[in-house]
Amino acid sequence: MGFLTPVLLGGVALVALPVLLHLVMRRQPRKLAFPALQFVRRRQQANRRRMNLRNWLLLALRCLLVAGLAVALARPTLRRSGLHGKEGAPLAVALVVDNSHRMQYVHENKTRQRQAVEMAEWLVEQFPSDTEIAVVDRSRAATGFVVDKKTAEARLRHLEPEGSPRPLEDAVRGAIQLVTDRPDHRQEVFLFSDLSAVDWTKQALKSIKEVLDKSPDVRIFVVDVGVTHPRNISLGQLKLRSSILRPGQPLHMDVSVRCIGSDEAQLVELFLEGSSTEAVKRGQHHVELTASPAGSNLTTTGQATFELADLPLGIHQGYVRLAADDPLEVDNTRYFTVDVRPPVRVLLLGENRRDTLFLREALSPSMGGLHVVRFECEAKQFSEAVSLALKPYAVVCLCDPPPLDDKLWQALADYTHSGGGTGIFLGHRARMSAFNEPVAEQLLPGKLKIQSRQATHLRPRSLAHPALSSIKDYAASIPWEIYPVWKYWELGDLATDAYVVMRFANNQPAILERPLGRGRVVTLTTPVSDPLEPPGRKTWNLLPTGPEPWPFVALSNQIVGYLAQHDNASFTFSSGETVVLQLATLQPPSIYVLVPPDGEPMRRKLPPGENTIRISTTRSLGNYKLTSGGTLTQVNLGFSVNGGEDQSRLERIDPTQLASAFPANRVQLAETLEDIEIYVDVGRSGHELFSWAITLVALVWSTEHLLANRFYRSTK
Amino acid sequence: MSTVEKYLKPEIIRKISRLDLRAQFIVKGFLQGLHASPFHGFSVEFSEHRKYAPGDNPDDIDWLVYAKTDKYYIKKFEAETNLTGYLVMDLSASMAYSYEQELSKFEYSICLAAALCYLMIHQNDPVGLITFGEKIADSLSPKSKRQQIGNILSHLARLEPRDKTDIGRSLNQLAAMLRHSSLVMLFSDLLGDPDEVISALRRLRHGGHDIILFHVLDKAEVDFPFEGLVELEDPESRASLEVNADAYRSDYLEELGEFRTRYDRECHQIGIDYVPLDTSMPFDRALTEYLVNRRNCG
Repeated sequence: MGFLTPVLLGGVALVALPVLLHLVMRRQPRKLAFPALQFVRRRQQANRRRMNLRNWLLLALRCLLVAGLAVALARPTLRRSGLHGKEGAPLAVALVVDNSHRMQYVHENKTRQRQAVEMAEWLVEQFPSDTEIAVVDRSRAATGFVVDKKTAEARLRHLEPEGSPRPLEDAVRGAIQLVTDRPDHRQEVFLFSDLSAVDWTKQALKSIKEVLDKSPDVRIFVVDVGVTHPRNISLGQLKLRSSILRPGQPLHMDVSVRCIGSDEAQLVELFLEGSSTEAVKRGQHHVELTASPAGSNLTTTGQATFELADLPLGIHQGYVRLAADDPLEVDNTRYFTVDVRPPVRVLLLGENRRDTLFLREALSPSMGGLHVVRFECEAKQFSEAVSLALKPYAVVCLCDPPPLDDKLWQALADYTHSGGGTGIFLGHRARMSAFNEPVAEQLLPGKLKIQSRQATHLRPRSLAHPALSSIKDYAASIPWEIYPVWKYWELGDLATDAYVVMRFANNQPAILERPLGRGRVVTLTTPVSDPLEPPGRKTWNLLPTGPEPWPFVALSNQIVGYLAQHDNASFTFSSGETVVLQLATLQPPSIYVLVPPDGEPMRRKLPPGENTIRISTTRSLGNYKLTSGGTLTQVNLGFSVNGGEDQSRLERIDPTQLASAFPANRVQLAETLEDIEIYVDVGRSGHELFSWAITLVALVWSTEHLLANRFYRSTK
Repeated sequence: MSTVEKYLKPEIIRKISRLDLRAQFIVKGFLQGLHASPFHGFSVEFSEHRKYAPGDNPDDIDWLVYAKTDKYYIKKFEAETNLTGYLVMDLSASMAYSYEQELSKFEYSICLAAALCYLMIHQNDPVGLITFGEKIADSLSPKSKRQQIGNILSHLARLEPRDKTDIGRSLNQLAAMLRHSSLVMLFSDLLGDPDEVISALRRLRHGGHDIILFHVLDKAEVDFPFEGLVELEDPESRASLEVNADAYRSDYLEELGEFRTRYDRECHQIGIDYVPLDTSMPFDRALTEYLVNRRNCG
């Protein structure tokens, strides 16, 4: 029990007033003759007793009235903060505002973040001027106590939605740590959250509880600014079959539609941005939604697939969006960037045309009506290679190489160092003595040991390597057994930087990779050029010559594509992520212009000789463009930034679960400003009892009035 | 209220200074106000005819005389028996009390006694006067002559209440004094020990006397109109008491009610007419009581 204005308690002394009036201000009786005194005398004793009782009762009530009024005006409070020993200490408060994109959900014409910020601003107003305030959000920037209340309010007002928020528990832990660093203060954390189940996982609750246990003086007020029954239609991440397209290759993308609180069919539209700023609609789908088996009853999902053919060379950007509006807009649009590039130039080196035939046909088939030209193959003989400039080629493939001139080995090593890709398909022409020379060992993954005659076949154990990514989806359906390998080169000790990409069924390495400078070398220990029945010897394998050798085609495309280092690039990033772009130009520009989605171009400088651009200002969602002028230094790049899918997950945690996860009285849940007010009053200054006290005074006053009127009513 | 009745009010009567006139005024006003003759049915013999006057009972009209004279005459009767009446006046000092009233209890009683005297003499009934304080103070033997009115009224006019009172003792004395059955009309505020008074009244009644007990109190004694803190003093005993009048009123009224109820009950038991009066009441109440009593006696 305490008082907000204890000085007014002095008013209790006025209790003496009615007592003095009672004793001192006694009136003199009026003298009257009255013969019928005998009737008066008979009741004198009983009347005196009754009168005394009444007088004392009234006196007591009047004293109580005066004392009660003084106590009520002193504003009594009931303290229940539980923060023993810190009554009256200054406050250290951390305001944690969830500023993830999910908080942009609009309810009652207000985003959840706006609601949270308004509540927080109101709170800041309530704090005493000596309060230490920290504003913590979910961005990864470091936070600390601000200078004063004005700064705190400014920070709250300028909170930006965070596309790649750090885990909520990290923010809460940071906030707890901040206030714990003020041991002489009352430590309180106000957390404004929409209670999304994605953030409040069991792990998160456990982690916060652990920190709370270590900081016994900290109290957390969780302010629920979420919506109990949210309604949202969201698009999942775009699944592009490939971000880099070759001429004739269609742009293929799948997108999922997820809906909470509705099962109506949704219209999904595809827009492609042209050279002008206006986007052109290039497709639309009505997506029927079905109840999600895994989700709750209210969650429905659907799928849409778009395909765009005949995109010209260059960067293409666009977006897929939902035609309908909903309260959370941030997940209604997904952006994409694709690059249509000219075919990859591949140099196939062999002893004769036969050696390169299978690989050339696999990479760029001469027959069939295929319009997609991914690789542009050029076959040469090893003897010609020494005088060839390798630079224009993205990949050089050595098909069953014989012992080569040291110059060629060195040229290949230099070429690979500078970013080229070299594929070595070992066969019967290889000789240990020549291949185990240091000049060849620069490229090979290890020393050749023996020609193994142990019959086997390819059996990938893991397809996680990017060189195998496209066959990953149907790996189980590839019958590797029907493409036997009878002979292969067994390798001795592998180079320290070499690693196995794929093995044979007998666990011997089949495909190995060795990075070299900015390029890479992939070695296959068995050839891909052996005909079905070569003259004078047995064939080493049936990889290209087995029945329907499509796995060979897929594998060769993957390996050569991987060596070209082009096809695995992705131009889609998460918000906040640092984007790294490799420049393919021979002479990187010194200045380039970055055009973010909001259209305000920014000039950036690039250090001389640097051909990698790093961009960290990717907070805004949308398509970014990157250009620079000049003929040699011309750069025309782009990338897309999308929000995470978990920013669309509006399912809420049960508040009781939240309350039960923490120690009693340490975490309070509030939904409205009034709730916070009550908690703040009770927790900080105590529960104010003025209304009760004044009601009691009114009761005493009316009782006194009632009794006085009743006692003396015959006067009237 | 008719013009006649308003003259029965004490505040009007006070304006008439002579007591005989007062008595006459009261009685005449009273009689005129009555719709029926108060003398009807009395045990009297026919004496003569007299002219019909409004207010007389039409039953008494002598139709034979009307047939002969064509005028209304009614039969006039003469009293056969005489009823001896005693006006017994309390001379205690308390009777002189008046609080914001026109007449004191004593004056009110005298007016009433005078009126009754007038009325009785008018009936040819002998009337006597007895006054008492602590004992019988004075007495006039009853006579029915016209001069008796003058005697009694002049005696009454000279009376002054100043004594202490002992009603019981005085009534006992009175009972011993009266030889024949009489109508005793006692005027007192009865402020004394009620046990003794009732006991004396029993004795008096036992002596065969009819008693009308006019219990005269001041209006203030009936209503207790005081406010605030008052010190009340008894004019007889000089005893005083300080009370909060507001808080005391209900108690007082209750006590007085009990007192009057007791007298009413006891008097009813022993056949006494108990007439509670206060000095603000018109006189007709008392006179009616007398007439009813007189009729019963007849």
